This record gives sequence, C-alpha cells and structure tokens, in this order.
Amino acid sequence: MSLLGKYFKGWRFRTSRPALEQGSEVDVFIAESNGTSGRAYIGDTELIVEGAGPDCIEKQVRVRVTEFDEAAASGRGEFVEVVGESSYDR
Amino acid sequence: MSANGESPSDEGAADQFIGGETEGGPTVEFYGGRGMSAFPIAFFIVWAIVQTALWRIGDTGGLIVGILVGLIVGMFFARGDWKDYANTIFEGMTQPVAVTAIVAWIWAGMFAQLLQDGGFVGGLVWLADAAGVGAALFPAITFILAAVFTTGIGTGYGSSVAFVGLFFPAGVLLGANPVLLFGAILSGAIFGDNLAPVSDTTIVSAVTQDADIGGVVASRFKYVIVAAVIAFVGYVVAGGMMGGLEVGAEAQAIFLESSEAIGLVHVISMLAVIGAAVAGRHIVEAISWGIVIAIVFNLVFGLASLGDIVMFNAPEDAPLAQPLESLPILTIVEDADAVGVTGSLMSGVAGFLELSILVLLIIGAAQIMIRGGAFEVLLEWSIENLATNVRNAELTMVGTAALINAIITINTAAEVAIGPYISKIGERFNLNGYRRANILDGQTAAMGYIFPWSGGVLAAYGAMQQLPGDYEWFEQSMIVTPIDVVPYVFQGWLLVAVFIIAALTGFGREYVTDRETEEVARV
Repeated sequence: MSLLGKYFKGWRFRTSRPALEQGSEVDVFIAESNGTSGRAYIGDTELIVEGAGPDCIEKQVRVRVTEFDEAAASGRGEFVEVVGESSYDR
Repeated sequence: MSANGESPSDEGAADQFIGGETEGGPTVEFYGGRGMSAFPIAFFIVWAIVQTALWRIGDTGGLIVGILVGLIVGMFFARGDWKDYANTIFEGMTQPVAVTAIVAWIWAGMFAQLLQDGGFVGGLVWLADAAGVGAALFPAITFILAAVFTTGIGTGYGSSVAFVGLFFPAGVLLGANPVLLFGAILSGAIFGDNLAPVSDTTIVSAVTQDADIGGVVASRFKYVIVAAVIAFVGYVVAGGMMGGLEVGAEAQAIFLESSEAIGLVHVISMLAVIGAAVAGRHIVEAISWGIVIAIVFNLVFGLASLGDIVMFNAPEDAPLAQPLESLPILTIVEDADAVGVTGSLMSGVAGFLELSILVLLIIGAAQIMIRGGAFEVLLEWSIENLATNVRNAELTMVGTAALINAIITINTAAEVAIGPYISKIGERFNLNGYRRANILDGQTAAMGYIFPWSGGVLAAYGAMQQLPGDYEWFEQSMIVTPIDVVPYVFQGWLLVAVFIIAALTGFGREYVTDRETEEVARV
C-alpha cells in the first residue's frame, strides 16, 4: 500500500457485523472452544470453526469459510492451521 | 444456534464454549486470592497519587522507590517458594516491549536535545513573529507549533518544557490569556505524543499490539486530525473571548531576542525522521539519520559547537588531559563537581534514564499481576459484564485505558501496564492491531497532559515556576495553577470524545480480516 494510501485507509464507518465470503480463507483469533470446535468473533459476527480445539484459544488460525448467513451474521468454517500467537502473551 | 451439529453425544456440554481465561492456573499464588497479586501495582498507584497529586512532587526517582516498596511488601503475600515471585519480576522486566521502548527513548532523547540546542524553537518563534501573529491568535498558533514540534521530537514532556520556557512568556507578553496558552501547549504535546513515530507512547502502543509503527501512525491520523481541527477552532474562538494580563510593553524585545530563522533548518531533521519511520525503517535507523543530520546542521550553520554536542570535563590531574586540552571536546575543570560528560547527547539521554528503570519495574509488577491472576479477574469481569459486543468492547478499552492513564502519572508506564489488557479484549473481537493501538494511545496521550498530577503538566509547571527568575517583568501571579488548565486542554478531551464516538459509530474500525498489521520485527 502506498504511503498516502495508509493515511486514507479506514476513513469510514465500519459495521459491527462484517460479512465473510463463502469459500474464502480468513485468519482470525479464536475466542472460545467446546473441545472440538472453536468460536471466533469478528466484531459481532460469529464464526464456528470446526476442528479448532482448546489449543487454539487466543491463537490466530486460518479458517476456510464453508457457509455464511449474512442476515444472522454467523457462519461456519474449517480449521486449516495455526498462523499466529496473541500479542497478549508476549 | 446450529453451531455444533456434529458434536458427540453430550450435546449440552459440547454447546458450552469456553474462553481462554479459565485455561491454566496462576504460577504465583497469593494469600487472599488472585486479586492480591495486584498489590504491588496498587501500592504503586496509591504512592504515585499521594506523591504527585497530594504532595505535588513530580520526581520519577520517588516513583521508583514506590514500586520497589510495593514489590517487596507484595512478596510477603505470596504463597510457597518466593523464588517464583522473584522470577516472575524478571520475566516481566525482560520482555522485549520494555527494552524496545527504552532503546527508542534514548535515541529520541538525543535527537530532541540536538534540535532544542540547535535553536529550533527559536526558529519557530521567529516564524510566528514574521507572520504577525497577535494576542487573540497566539494560543491557536502555539497549539499548531507545539504539535509540529512534538511530532518531530516525539517527547511531549520535552516540548511542554521547551514551549513553556519560550512561547509562554512571549504569549503573555503579547497579551494572550495565560491559562488558554498553557492549555494550547499541552494540547500540542498531546497531538505529537499521540502521532509522532518517535514518541515513546506511539512505540509502546504499536509494540504491545503487534503492529508496525509506520502503519500505526498513518492509521491514527484520522482520529488525531479530527480532534485537532476542532481544538484549533476552539483556541481561535476562546482566544478572542478570553483576555490577557497587563504587562509592561518595554520588554517586548524579549520576544525576538532568542529567535532566529536559521533554527528552522531543523524542520529537515524532523522530516528525515518522520519520513524514514513512516516508510517503515527501523526506528533506531530513522532517528539515527535525524541525529546525524541535526549534528551536521548545528555545526555547519553554527547553531551549536562540537563542545555543545559532547564535552568531556576532565580534572586537572588526569594523565592525558593537559596534552589534549586543545581538542574542542575537552575542557579541564578545577571544580571537582564539574567533572563529567556534558552536551546535547548526554543531557538527551539523561532525561530518560530514571524513566527507563521505573518502566522496567512497573512491568515486572504488572507481570506479577498477570501471573498471579488479578489481571484475569479484571478481564473475566469486564469481558462478561462490559465487553459483551464489539461496541461495548471498544468502549471498555477506551474507558479502562483512560482510567489507568488518569491514575498513573507517567503515561508510558500506564500504557505498558494496560497494553496487554487492550490486546486481549480487542483480539477477542478480532479488532486489528492498528485499531487497538490507536484506542490505547489516544487515551494514553490525552490523559498524560490533563490533570495536575499528570507527568506533562508537572514538567511544564516546573518550567513555568522558573520564569519569574528569568524575566524581570514576569510576576509570580502570572503562573497558572495546574488545576485551572484542566478544562482548556482541548486536544486531550476531544481525543477521548472522538474515540467514544468512534466506538459507538464504528468510525475507523478495522478487523483482522480487513487488514493485517505489517511485520513488527522491524521495531
């Protein structure tokens, strides 16, 4: 991104319920897990991540989005891999 | 919801999503429960309030003693082997966040001093005079110049002191309202402290949120400039409404006495640092370029001599002092107390030494609070009760960052302590590092310069108290009492307001999925 572009990025009112694109891959922090699946909040959008166990909590993981309901702002996806740590623990 | 269709037989239990806060026990246990691990920090906060607010002693060394006593007393509440308690302090103190900030302060401190000694503020005064700025406009113009200066040098404390020393008497002399002028200087310091890539708080906010400094600066511009435009209008309007003091006109020459246009050459030194940092260069490299350019300008334009930049003051009996006395960086001194190294580089570094030690100890104590579980108690409570959705989470981040910074005098230290907490709440809702860093630093910069016990106000007030001795016409009654300036620090109050509105409306909000922060390893 250009220098000027960085300054003008984000001059907008961003929704609290962002949409995700089905079939895309996103990197998100997992907030909670029930043992077999994880849950990530992107704003108030909820994404259930199948295969994201307790080990993934507060880690950034890559998720392949398999379904997304824009009206309910919720979706499901498959765990691909862990891609990052929380800055909290550093 | 249909979250767990393929879960095992015990569907009720499988529906139960559990967050990270219950995972793993604290490594240090305390008599009286997890909350007691906050004792060292809590003791320090009480000490800081008593010392700086009630007794008006803005001494960083005293705060170091406060945190040390807190850490020692806190140890007696720890269960089991006290070695774990001690090791946790070390674990906190050796975090990269601390040393990164300290290295940057030392570099920035040298750079700032070179600019000050190179007559940069004098150059700005000259410009204000040449442009014919009157009493009513003076606070507004001072706000802009203080903002530019602080953005260049990165230390709001330093520029508060410099501007109170130069702009404050000049403005009072011209008939500007002293309280408004003081507020304008503090507002400028907030602007720069918040936006400058070389500012200690900018660096801490970026590092604690895993974000690159250039990206953080660029992304926070929108909040800072909205607040600043309104603040500027506020100073213009208030400047026209609030009158100044009656000062004898005979001393107006002081205004230009120390002001020369050539100091403005350091705009280039500033731009070099800003440009390099925003372009993503390592902060040490960016400021080093600024230092080199500032030294060259100081020497070439005669703004400062080599001896002003670094000077060895040796005793008479030193073995190699007499033969080398002709060197421009060596002076032989008779008075034993005068022996030492002086000059811009030395005094620039010296200003940050005590703060560095204090910050190391505070994050050692913060680590006790994290490993002992008090932070978890606070987090669990606010995540469950306050941060229930992304809007409330952002409001919680604004509120807690503002509260902690309003309490702890040295805003960088407060930011280091609250940084991980902002990170945890923000990551839960996948807010990206830029947004988290901006929420954190907006409150940190603002609250560091508003209250009578804030570090910036204390430093500036100290400088103001020297003015009656510096100028014959400056009377004791012209000094502004710190409590009076609180409502007039427009940039501070507006910055907090902008972030509250941004949290409510989603202005500037970015998620991890919108944009990843760039590689932080450059820092």
